[in-house]
Amino acid sequence: MNLLNPVLTIIGYVLVGIGAFCQVVAGIGMNRFPNFFVRLHAATICAIGGSFVPIIGCSLIALSIEEFGVIRFFLAGAGFVTAVFLLILAPVGSHLLAKAAYFSKAAVLYPKAVDLLEEDVERGEIRE
Amino acid sequence: MTVEYLVYFIPFYIVGLVLYIVRALKGPTLPDMVLAIDCMGYVLAALLVIFSLYLGSPLIIACAIVLTLWIYALDVYMSKYLEKKELGE
Repeated sequence: MNLLNPVLTIIGYVLVGIGAFCQVVAGIGMNRFPNFFVRLHAATICAIGGSFVPIIGCSLIALSIEEFGVIRFFLAGAGFVTAVFLLILAPVGSHLLAKAAYFSKAAVLYPKAVDLLEEDVERGEIRE
Repeated sequence: MTVEYLVYFIPFYIVGLVLYIVRALKGPTLPDMVLAIDCMGYVLAALLVIFSLYLGSPLIIACAIVLTLWIYALDVYMSKYLEKKELGE
């Protein structure tokens, strides 16, 4: 097992680094994107690339540290549970928000090239 | 190996957090603010996990799970409010 520890730690640090990069990119994207619907993409980068990946990385690092003894399994388990919750709930939450924002017209779709959903609603295929 | 090197990644998460706070305060429409608060929650969940690993205490990570669930509840209630103008209590 002690051969695997350095490998787990390195992988964990790489994942935490990727998460740090994704957070900065998502933060910039959140402020530079034109409207709400494009910002959903930045929110997904923050949720998956910036939170799910480093939490998995931290769980791997936690697994690989011998000094913690029994606590490392608790840290790793809680980390994996958080990561699974985040992986499932983040997309569902942002999808809910996008649907509500679109149909309640709370978010203005300003730089609009084409809106296929609007045409479907007019054609009556989608009831609000 | 060691845990000390985690400290060098924390400033990037803080930068992301500050940028989300800017968007939450500046956000023109209501869904923008909710989205920024979502992202702040996810950043804080990641920071909680990193700090609990760095300090080695299993207590901090327990509330990262709860925070993730609360962020989802915020989304559900906000979209329910936006569409139906009621919260369903």
